[in-house]
Amino acid sequence: MSLIKKPGGKALDVLQNLPRITLANLRPEPGSKQKEKRRGRGQYGGNRSGRGHKGERQRGTRPRLGFEGGATPFYLIIPKYGYNEGHSRRPQYQPLSLKRLQYLIDVGRLDPSQPIDLTQLVNARGVTIQPQKRDFGVQLVDEGAELFSAKINIEVQRASEAAIAAVERNGGVLTNSFYDPISLAILIKPVPFFLRGQPIPKRMHPGEEMVPFYMDPCARGYLAPPEQVQQARLALAKKYGYVLPDLSRDELFHMLSSRKDPRQIFFGLSPGWVVNMADRKILKPTDEKLVQYYGS
Amino acid sequence: MSACFTLRFKMIHRVLRCAFQLPGPSVIRLQPMCVAVGEQNPLCGTLETTKEYMFVERLIPPTRVPVPPRHDGPAPSGWAPPSDVPPSLPYMVRRSRMHNIPVYTDISHGNRRTTVLRRVEGDIWALDGAVKELLKRLTGTDRTTQVNEVTMSIRIKGHYDKEIKEWLMQKGF
Repeated sequence: MSLIKKPGGKALDVLQNLPRITLANLRPEPGSKQKEKRRGRGQYGGNRSGRGHKGERQRGTRPRLGFEGGATPFYLIIPKYGYNEGHSRRPQYQPLSLKRLQYLIDVGRLDPSQPIDLTQLVNARGVTIQPQKRDFGVQLVDEGAELFSAKINIEVQRASEAAIAAVERNGGVLTNSFYDPISLAILIKPVPFFLRGQPIPKRMHPGEEMVPFYMDPCARGYLAPPEQVQQARLALAKKYGYVLPDLSRDELFHMLSSRKDPRQIFFGLSPGWVVNMADRKILKPTDEKLVQYYGS
Repeated sequence: MSACFTLRFKMIHRVLRCAFQLPGPSVIRLQPMCVAVGEQNPLCGTLETTKEYMFVERLIPPTRVPVPPRHDGPAPSGWAPPSDVPPSLPYMVRRSRMHNIPVYTDISHGNRRTTVLRRVEGDIWALDGAVKELLKRLTGTDRTTQVNEVTMSIRIKGHYDKEIKEWLMQKGF
């Protein structure tokens, strides 16, 4: 750029021509400092100093907040109800709008020619997941569904119906899959995990309450049978009024159809393997029992 | 319930496994104790190099902000790159590290809303005048602004980030 940044500008010119600044030259802007109110300094010694006349008010012996003079107070008369019971144990899902997803793809932080999963989203600094705060992953929110126009293979933990429709309308694939907290922590920070030298663990199956959701083809759950998922795709296309693009003729079909095994955390890496980043090698177990355990 | 549960999973496993990129670990019949295999290493287990290591490389987070790809005009999300030729104005507004327009909103004391326009270079007073004129045209009133010549930023009373971002993008900054 030919423009030179000159810090100070006019202020600096003025400053250079004035005499040296000392405490004797400085004064606050008139009207900026308001004198504080001091009690008990009024006419005739201040009188009651804003405390009122006799009683608990002047003497400072009022009862506690909420006390209603002996009647059962409001906060005791209303019965308890478990609105917030177990709130700190409920699974949370960090929202990701379609608008932000489109922005990340446009700016080049996400690569739509590779499957997008939570690791890719976190590496692109698109979302921040905190497994310690009961985050179970990311949810796709349908803000920006009208301007979304990217063909992607995305894996999230929860997605609204309109978001699924927006992704599939553009010829993409969406999967809802579950990660237990340990697998999630490994998924969002793979490099510190590999440096630990531990074998990649198996991903655990969802708990009893979440299983119906992840087996539901309408929610594109990862445990749902593929034929039912295809039927659900057609039904959703009919409901939202768009033509479902035929993926089998797509050049990116192989990438769009690639999905993880329910026990797999990373694409291409099986449970049981140890990654050696220093030597750029992968160690695989050969003991029969280990192979059987990690393969189950 | 639990019996049919596990059965269902096994069935799903079998159905889905065939479609996946899940190469099973290569099994070599060995004695159960740790014995050197293949490439004379004292640890037990086979070593497999770059064949699957590329999947590990995909997982490493990038350390630098990627260069945005070229678009014809504005992208679907509304983002547009700065014009190749900077506009011939006495001032310049650079993009942020993440290639965005450096206009931010601020709130203090819960109700004091301001808009900050940072990363200004050149004649900041001319930009100040232009911003004041733009807001006069849009709102009909004079908006108070504060010019900070040391940090080269302009602070405007009120939330006008969308309007100013659009205006700057249309100018080509």
